Amino acid sequence: MTTTTPPAPSDEQSAQSRWAVETHGLTKRFGDNVAVNDVELLVPRGCAFGYLGPNGAGKTTLIRVLLGLTHADAGTMSLLGHPVPRHRDKALARVGAIVDEPRFHGHLSGRQNLRILAAAREPAARDRIGPSLERVGIAHRADDKVAKYSMGMRQRLGVAACLIGDPQLLILDEPMNGLDPAGMQDMREMILSLVAEGRTVVLSSHLLDEVERTCDAVAIVDRGNVIRQGSISELLAGSSLVLQVDCSEPDRARALLDATSVKGDIAVEPLGLGITLPAGTQRDVNAEINRVLVEGGIAVYRLQEIQTSLESWFLQVTSRLGAPE
Amino acid sequence: MTTVSDIGATGSNPVPAGPVGVSHDRRGSWIPTGGMIATRFMELRKRRGLMVALILVTVGIPAVFLVIRLLLHAFAPHSYGPAGGYDIFTGLVAGVLYVFGFIVAATLGATAGSVDLTEGMFRHLVVTGRSRLAIYVARIPAGLAIIVPLVAVGFTIVCAVCVFAAPTQLSFNGVNLPVNLSRAGLETWAADHADEVICNFGFSIGPSSSNPSSIAAAVNSVPCANGPGSPVNIQQSPGSPGQPQPSQAQIRKAARLIAGMNYSDYTRQFLYPSNLLMVKSGLWLELEALIGFVVGLGLGSLIGQRTVAVILMIVLEVVLTPILSRARIPHLSNLQRAVVGLATAHLAPGGLPVLGGGGGGPGGGMGNPRLLPESTTVAVCVIVAWLVGWTILGAWRMMTRDA
Repeated sequence: MTTTTPPAPSDEQSAQSRWAVETHGLTKRFGDNVAVNDVELLVPRGCAFGYLGPNGAGKTTLIRVLLGLTHADAGTMSLLGHPVPRHRDKALARVGAIVDEPRFHGHLSGRQNLRILAAAREPAARDRIGPSLERVGIAHRADDKVAKYSMGMRQRLGVAACLIGDPQLLILDEPMNGLDPAGMQDMREMILSLVAEGRTVVLSSHLLDEVERTCDAVAIVDRGNVIRQGSISELLAGSSLVLQVDCSEPDRARALLDATSVKGDIAVEPLGLGITLPAGTQRDVNAEINRVLVEGGIAVYRLQEIQTSLESWFLQVTSRLGAPE
Repeated sequence: MTTVSDIGATGSNPVPAGPVGVSHDRRGSWIPTGGMIATRFMELRKRRGLMVALILVTVGIPAVFLVIRLLLHAFAPHSYGPAGGYDIFTGLVAGVLYVFGFIVAATLGATAGSVDLTEGMFRHLVVTGRSRLAIYVARIPAGLAIIVPLVAVGFTIVCAVCVFAAPTQLSFNGVNLPVNLSRAGLETWAADHADEVICNFGFSIGPSSSNPSSIAAAVNSVPCANGPGSPVNIQQSPGSPGQPQPSQAQIRKAARLIAGMNYSDYTRQFLYPSNLLMVKSGLWLELEALIGFVVGLGLGSLIGQRTVAVILMIVLEVVLTPILSRARIPHLSNLQRAVVGLATAHLAPGGLPVLGGGGGGPGGGMGNPRLLPESTTVAVCVIVAWLVGWTILGAWRMMTRDA
């Protein structure tokens, strides 16, 4: 039987691809454990995309499959419009990635480690070593042995290793690990600047706050499944709303609201009420609650919408996993 | 599941997917670039501990041994012989450089084959999109660029000392005699030194010898302090006790005859190794180092761990190879012939002792009756099979391994 290999997409074709990362039905198993389960993932070009999930959710495994570090058991995927693993050389030519904790040859300097990696890339990569080291802020330590680097410096060197390939797509797995607050701020700014240059950054993390601050869109993954993906504002729009009401006589206030058509969970708190309203509740409900309380003789001191954070939304979403439908 | 909306870049337009350097760098090719080889060479060379160990074994051991001999001979020339010479050369080449060269080459190979994995660089390299096979292949010239010159330096030192500090006279069976004598020259010299020859050279007098009784009488007439040259094998009675004492001419004749018997052994005695032997020995040592490196590289890549690979290589070279090369195990002789150490021993240059001593004889390993017989063709095939087989195994593991 003869087989024919489809031709590689031309550079023009790959450039026209809307997605930096595209997977369909991607599955990876380790024995009975399904680490990546039928994942459909679409990462648009030119944005910071958060790949969010608790520890053991399968984030790193998906990245390893995408980068060809391990093979997929089923499904298709492409990077920058190039199908992988068939055309992984073309695909990875403009991809930079940090997977897990970045490790290097400890007996070599940071610059020498980058020379090894640049040699495996195109000749121009060697000229980018200096600027990359400058950009990540370790140029002054570039000639020290990596064995003397802190974890944060190795993270920075890992990013520099990504940058020497002039990547269109960066995949960073937990890049904030080991960084102090200032380092995290630097990393955040660097990611934003990379996106500002038109590159795509996929940020895998369990640090919800970081993803919320950095990313335009996220995919939520748990137990190998992508359970939500979209822009953060879209996703948060689908979450419940919490209304904090500071008032007198909280018990009587709750009784008054229970007698109305306001739908939500009302909890009595020391200073008043905590009202959780379902997703999609209009702001008119806030005014209605205020009116009912005031007309009932309740003194309302403060009425405030508590903005749902990605973290609370994430916990809401993931807590439903495994629960009976 | 929610859908992804049209999320654009927060800043400028996406970086165009241009062909910058991509279509020209043959990243999918299995052939490594010069830069890959050079940086791999640098990575290995910068391992200070490993380099010190390699230099110590390949250069340091023979150098220190020879320096000590030079000093001893300089201070006490009557007690200690010259530092160099043919025997020292063959002993160092076959006993030290051959065995240790293999082990250090295997150590370097196992290191090259496993450190990217254990030190976390393999993942970075794979993510470049470069062919995994090219990453593997780059290690071969890089490693050989280290081990081949090292072996050459150690061997050159041995050659230099053995040639320039060689003895000025040949010692044959304890007798100092000139070198490069023809058969007639040796016989003439023997006639002039009849007592030394008769007392120290080995000989055998049989019925086929001309006038054996007079020769035996001549031999027996020489008053050797250590007894006549051994082994004495007189198969005919030397004559009656009343026989007259042999003349000086008869003694000289007997010495000539004995010298003729020893001429063949004499021609294999040298003050220092010949140029041809040195060249052959050097190439043989480099072959052994090449095998050690390639097998170590493949094994290190296969196991993904340096220490175990090195231990296995030492066991192979120091324990298994000598046993399997000499033991006659029924029904397993063909399996024994597949041992690469036996194959390289068979390719040893003539005159070198092999596998820890045994005497290569004129044909080198091929002439060693203590080795399991193997033809040159089979030996070459075994070596090629080991080189190719371990390269395929190591490359296959590298291409299929999870990074």
